[in-house]
Amino acid sequence: MQNLGLLTPELVLAGLALAVMFLDMVLPRSKSRWLYHFAWLSSAGVLALVVASLGAPAAHGTGTLWTADAFGQFFKMTVLLTATLCLLLGLDYKALPERHAGTFAALMLLSTTGMMFLISATDLLLVFVALELVSISSFVLAGFERGNPKSNEGAMKYFLFGAFSSAILVYGISMYYGATGTTRLIPGAAQSPMMILALVLILLGFAFKASIAPMHFWVPDAYEGAPTPVTTFFSIAPKLATFCALMRLFGTVFPAAQYDLTALFGLLAVLTMTIGNFTAFFQDDVKRLLAYSSIAQAGYLLIGVAVGTARGTEGVMMYSFIYVAMNIGAFAVAQAVGQAAGSYSLDAFDGLARRSLGLALAMTFCLLSLAGIPPLAGFMGKLYIFSSAVESGRWWLAAFGLLNSVASAYFYFRIAHRMFFRAPSEDAAPLAVGPYVYGGIAVAVVGVLLFGVHPEPLIAGVRASAPLLP
Amino acid sequence: MLSLITWSPLIGALIVLMLPKENKRAIQIVSFVAAGISLAASLWLIPQFDRSATAMQFVEKWSWIPSLNVSYYLGVDGLSFPLVLLTTFMTFISLIGSLGIEKRVKEYFFWFMALEVGMLGVFMALDLVLFYVFWELTLVPMYFLIGVWGGPKKEFAAIKFFLYTLTGSVFMLLSILALYFRSVPHTFDMIELMKIAQTSTVFDPRFQILVFLGLYFGMAIKIPAFPFHTWLPLAHVEAPTPVSVILAAVMLKMGVYGILRISFGITPLGFHWFLPALVVIAVINIVYGALCALAQTDMKKMVAYSSINHMGYCLLGIAGMTAAGFSGAVLQMINHGIIAGALFLLVGVIYDRAHTRDLSAFGGLAVKLPVYAGIMSLACFASLGLPGLSGFVSEFLCFLGAFQNWKWATTISVLGIIATAAFFLRMMQKVFLGPVNEKWADLPDMSPRELASLLPLVAVMIWFGIDPKWPLDLMNATVAHLLGK
Repeated sequence: MQNLGLLTPELVLAGLALAVMFLDMVLPRSKSRWLYHFAWLSSAGVLALVVASLGAPAAHGTGTLWTADAFGQFFKMTVLLTATLCLLLGLDYKALPERHAGTFAALMLLSTTGMMFLISATDLLLVFVALELVSISSFVLAGFERGNPKSNEGAMKYFLFGAFSSAILVYGISMYYGATGTTRLIPGAAQSPMMILALVLILLGFAFKASIAPMHFWVPDAYEGAPTPVTTFFSIAPKLATFCALMRLFGTVFPAAQYDLTALFGLLAVLTMTIGNFTAFFQDDVKRLLAYSSIAQAGYLLIGVAVGTARGTEGVMMYSFIYVAMNIGAFAVAQAVGQAAGSYSLDAFDGLARRSLGLALAMTFCLLSLAGIPPLAGFMGKLYIFSSAVESGRWWLAAFGLLNSVASAYFYFRIAHRMFFRAPSEDAAPLAVGPYVYGGIAVAVVGVLLFGVHPEPLIAGVRASAPLLP
Repeated sequence: MLSLITWSPLIGALIVLMLPKENKRAIQIVSFVAAGISLAASLWLIPQFDRSATAMQFVEKWSWIPSLNVSYYLGVDGLSFPLVLLTTFMTFISLIGSLGIEKRVKEYFFWFMALEVGMLGVFMALDLVLFYVFWELTLVPMYFLIGVWGGPKKEFAAIKFFLYTLTGSVFMLLSILALYFRSVPHTFDMIELMKIAQTSTVFDPRFQILVFLGLYFGMAIKIPAFPFHTWLPLAHVEAPTPVSVILAAVMLKMGVYGILRISFGITPLGFHWFLPALVVIAVINIVYGALCALAQTDMKKMVAYSSINHMGYCLLGIAGMTAAGFSGAVLQMINHGIIAGALFLLVGVIYDRAHTRDLSAFGGLAVKLPVYAGIMSLACFASLGLPGLSGFVSEFLCFLGAFQNWKWATTISVLGIIATAAFFLRMMQKVFLGPVNEKWADLPDMSPRELASLLPLVAVMIWFGIDPKWPLDLMNATVAHLLGK
C-alpha cells in the first residue's frame, strides 16, 4: 500500500458516492432533489482538488498499482467536469423518477470514480477492476428509464456487449501475464506472438468502452435509450478515460519511439471516423445522430494516438478537453428540445431559430465546432491533431481526417438546416428551458468560443501536462 | 486601424443579436453604422496609404497562439488594399439593397455583418492560420444567407456551396500545415514564408508543386475556375440579390487574391510549373463561361456565368506573369466587383417588379423604364469592355499582359470577348428593345433606394474608365515588387 495519498481525489469521490447512497435512505422523499445538488457539488469539489494538484508536482508520484501524473490529472479533470455538468443537466431532466434520485446520483459518482481509477492505473488488474466499476454502473444508468422499452433494449445490448468485451479484456490480460509474468505495465517487453495477441485483445476491450470501430455496435442503441444526461455522460467521460488508459498502456509497453503501431491505430482511426460519419447521414433521431458523431469523434482522437509523438498526445488531450464543451452543449440543447417536443426525432428541431434564436445559435456553434469549422474550439483541436499527423509525415491520416470532417459537416448541417430553414411545426412559442440546462449550454458555448479564439492557455496547459510518469 | 475596419461589423453583429427582433429599424441602423464605420475607416486610410511603398502598411502584429507561433498579423499592400476598399464599399452598397429584406431581419443582418468580418479579414491577414480562420468564417454566414433568404432551390444551393468550398479549403489547410512544418523555425507568417521561398531551397520543387496543388484546389473552387465552377450558377441564382452582389463582387476575389498572395508568393516554383495549365483554364473560363451565358434564358443565371467568364480574364492576366497582366488582374477584380455587383442589383430590381427573370418575357422596357434601361446598358457596356468604361481598361491590360507570353491563348480569349458582347447585347435587345410587352405596361421605374445603391457604382465605372491611373497607382509598386522588378 504505497502512496495511497496519491489517490485522494478518487477516495474522496468514492466516499461521497457512498454518502449519497446513505443519505438516500435517511432523507425524506420530498427532499430527494437535494441529492442531485449534493452529487454535483461533490463532483465539483473533487474537480477543484484535481485542478489544484495539476500544477503541484508534490501531488504527483507512483504507487504500487497506480500513478498520479499531470497527464492523468488532466484527463481526470475532463471526466469530473463532464460528470458535474451532466449531473446539472440531470436536475432538469423530468423522466428520472424522483424516488431513485439517490441511486442515480450515486451511480454517476461511482462510475466517475471508476474512470478516475482507470486513468491512474498502471497495473492491468486495477485497469480491469476500474473498467468493471465503470461498466456496471453504466449498465444500470443506461436502463434507468424503466418505463421506456428503448431504454431497456439499450441497456440489455450494452450489458451483453459489455460482458463479452470484458471477457476479451480479461483473456488479453491473462495472456499478458503469461508473456511477461506480471500484470504491471512494463516497458520493453519481448515482442512475442503471445504478447501481440494480448495487446490486441486488450485493445479490443478498450475499443468497446471508447466506441472505436469495430466495437461500436452497442453505441447508438444504448445512447438512444439512456436518459439524455446519461447519454451525454457516456458520450464523453468513459471515452476520454479509456483513451487515457489506452495511451498509458501503449505509451508504456510499446513506446512509439521503438514500435511503430501507426498501421494498426491508423486503420482503426480511419475505420471509426468513416463508419461514424457515414452512418450518421441516415439517422433521423438526434440522439442516434450524435451517437454516431461521437463514434467519429473517437476516430479523430485515434489519429493522435496513431501518430504517437508528443504533439499527437498533446493533440488528443487538447481535443478531449474541447470535446467536453462541444458535446455537452450539443446534447444539452438536444435535451431541451427533446423534452419540449416529447421526442428526439429531428423534426423536433424544425424552426427552432424562430422559436428560440439563442438556443439555435448555441446548437449551431457546438455543431460547427464538432465539424471543426473556425473560429470555434473544435477547429483548434483538429488543427493540433492533424498537424501532428502532418509533422510526422503521415499525410494520409490527416487527409482522411479532413475529408471526414467535410463529410461530417453535412449531417451536422442537417440539424442546422432544420433549425433555420424549416418552419416550426405547430407550436411556435419559445422553448421553456430549465435553469440548469441553460447553465450547461452557457458553459459549453463560452468554452467553444473562448478556446476557439484564445486557445493559448489550453495549449500551454496541455504541453505542461503531456509527459507520462512511468 | 485595420482592426477597427475588420471588427466593427462584428460588434455591429453582436449588438444586432441583442436587439429585439421586432425592432427592424434599429437593427438596420446598427448594421449601417457598423458597416459605415468600416467604410469610413477604410476611406480614411486612402490618403495615408503610401503608393510607392512595397512593404506591408498599417501593420498590426500581436502574438496570438505563441505555442504554435501563430500571430494576429494584419497588413495591407497595393494588392490587398484595393480589395479591402472594394469589400467595405460593396458591403455598404448591398446593405442598401438589403433594406428590402422583410423576412427574419435580425438574423439576416447578423449573418451579413459576420460575413463582412470574414471577407475583410481574408484580405488583411498575413498569417496563414488567421487567413484560414477568416476564409472559413465567410462560409457559415453565406450558407445561412443563401439557405434562408434564397430562391426556390436555396437549400440545395446552400449546402452545395458549403460542402464544395469546405472540401477545397481542407486541402488548403493541409498545404498550410505542410508549409509550417517545412519552414525553420516553424512559422505561419506569410512574409517569412515568402522570404524562405525566395532566399533558400528549403522548399524544394516537388514540395512546392504539391503544396501549390493543395492551395490551388482551395482557391480554384472559390474563383471558380473550370472545372470547379458548378456551384456558382446555382448559388448565385438562388441567393437573394444583396447576397449575390457580395458573392460576385467580393467572395470570388478571395480565390484570385489567394493565388497572387499565397500561391505565387510562397510556392513560386509550383506556380511556374502550373502556368501552362492555368492558361488553358483561363481560356476555358473565358470562352466556356461566355458560351454558357449565351445559352441562358434567366437573366440572373446569365450574369452568374458572365462572372465565370470575367474571372477567366483575371486568371489570364495572372498567367501572363507581366506587370501589365498582374495590374490588369487586380484591376479586373475591382472592376468586376463593381460591375457584377451592379448587374446583380439591376436584375434584382426587375425581378422585384415582374417576379420573373426570363429574358423572353420582356420587351420594349426602355420606353417604360428609361432610367433603368440607361443604367443597365451602361453596366452591360462596362462589363463587355467598351472603351471609356472601367471594364475596358482592365480587360485590355489582362490581354496585353498575357499576349507577350501566350499568344495563341490570348488570341482565342479575345475571340471570347465577342461571345461576351453577344450575350449582353442579346439581353439588352430582348429586354429593352422591340415591341412593348403590354403585360409590363405599368411597371414603375427605379425607386430612390435602388438609385442610391446603383448610382455610386455607375459613378465608379465611369471614373475608372476615364481615369484608370488612380486605381492603378495604388497597386503598381506592389505588382512590380511581386514580380521581383
